[in-house]
Amino acid sequence: MTSTVIAIVVGSVVLFGAATVLAMGWAVRAGQFDNPSRDARSIFGPDEPVGEPTDAFPAD
Amino acid sequence: MAATTTPPSPADRAQAARERAEIDSSCRGPVLYYAASAVFWLIAGTVLAVVASIKLHSPYFLTGSEYLTFGRVRMAHLQAVGIGWSAMVGMAAACWLMCRLSRATLVYPVLLVVAATLWNVGMVLNVVGILLGHGRSVEWLDAPAYVSPFLITSIAIFSAWTAATFVRRREPHVYVTQWYIFAAVFWFPILYVITVAMIFWMPSGGVVQLVVNWWFGHNYLGLWLTPIGVGSAYYLIPKIIGRPVHSYYLSIVGFWSLALFYPWAGMHHLIGGPIPAWLSTASTVGSMMMFIPVIAVAINHHMTMVGSFHMLRYSPALRFTVFGAMTYTLVSFQGSIESLKSFSEVAHFTHYTVAHAHLGAYGFFTMVMFGQLYYMIPRLTGREWYSARLISLHFWCDAVGISIYFVSLTVAGWWQGRMMNDPNVPWGNVVTYLLPYLFTRSVAGVLMGVGHLAFAVLLVANLAGWGRRRGTGPTYFADPPPADQKQLAGAAAD
Repeated sequence: MTSTVIAIVVGSVVLFGAATVLAMGWAVRAGQFDNPSRDARSIFGPDEPVGEPTDAFPAD
Repeated sequence: MAATTTPPSPADRAQAARERAEIDSSCRGPVLYYAASAVFWLIAGTVLAVVASIKLHSPYFLTGSEYLTFGRVRMAHLQAVGIGWSAMVGMAAACWLMCRLSRATLVYPVLLVVAATLWNVGMVLNVVGILLGHGRSVEWLDAPAYVSPFLITSIAIFSAWTAATFVRRREPHVYVTQWYIFAAVFWFPILYVITVAMIFWMPSGGVVQLVVNWWFGHNYLGLWLTPIGVGSAYYLIPKIIGRPVHSYYLSIVGFWSLALFYPWAGMHHLIGGPIPAWLSTASTVGSMMMFIPVIAVAINHHMTMVGSFHMLRYSPALRFTVFGAMTYTLVSFQGSIESLKSFSEVAHFTHYTVAHAHLGAYGFFTMVMFGQLYYMIPRLTGREWYSARLISLHFWCDAVGISIYFVSLTVAGWWQGRMMNDPNVPWGNVVTYLLPYLFTRSVAGVLMGVGHLAFAVLLVANLAGWGRRRGTGPTYFADPPPADQKQLAGAAAD
């Protein structure tokens, strides 16, 4: 039983740790963190540009 | 920052609007199904909550039925709101945000409908099973044994769907909200499977079960609900006010530091319990380190909002989201302090903890999710909300309700702890002292319930097509003064 517990704990540490390192490594290589001010604008587009609110209180 | 952008051409604008409308319309079926199911579980959970709450100050309430004993009703409440409402509304939000941020239309809608149905079936078995007496006495895992296969299959489908959407992305940048959603859909299934395996399928020995239990209990909030809530606010606040996040760099730091520190926090639930001292101490350190991601999020959300606070008068989505985001800071600071052993000596095992849990799950997560629904659903159905008065009723019932709830149980819990630590105070005095506060909690619960009913009516009206069509320009709840009209003009063009 103790060995099962240890196997699960060690296994999940390796799984979580490796996944995190892989994800972060990919993000750095892919240039995901290179230009924060540009990336912050990625949710805006030509139809909903920076400077235009997209919501307001509706009619009664 | 905003001044450097060149105005888009009308053709570009129309093209982008078409693309966005196409993505939104592809999400309609599955996302509305998740959202409507979530609201159903919210209402069911609220009824159970009020029954459980009343029983604590009026012990002869509904005593004739074994199905409605406090132990069963409270468990059923926790499952209905925690696993039913919170997870399903979180998945509705994650689904829509993932499509929008990947700029990809929703793929495999039938799979998502199957996943949501499995979750709903699991929840019916869960709540009915608990009321029938099949619940298990492990907090947060109270569901009967036959429930977990439904939930595991459902979340497995959902997580795989998230990856399938991501690989079809047309947007090269992975926005911080996507990081949060990925983290949630990756962490939660692993967390759940490991916990169910170690507690029920191959039960580990005594103390280890306890450790796994609270590793799950705290991480359900920290690694499943919190990332979705914070991620949602990181999209909604900038999007609604039309201004990029104050410091995007800080948002990334916040995400990775949450990933690093939050998984440690669960053991602070066992301070003073029969676990090795280093385990709870390490957890206290992890909890205190949570100040880093929390301060990062707090600075970012606040600084993004500076100059736009007047918009809280008009936008329900913004008002709910900002309320939730501010509460996130408050509840996280409080949580870190609660992990200190000296503080726990008083606050632990009292109503203080109950108040804290509700501030997090309701004041933060639920309020952000209401903001998400207010923003998202009109874009899916093409209808504005039916009544601004009902929205206002919803907001004030919820905001005042959770505030009364939090204040009454925090005060009650603190003095409860002080009295229990004093051997000269008879136990009966502690019980009598709590009665008015518990009654106040019931009043707060009813108030929140009224808010939920108002929202349920709004949702049904919206789905039934009773609201005005979108595209004719919104009419504001309060007429904006001229200075605000300029800033809100963009919304009118929507």
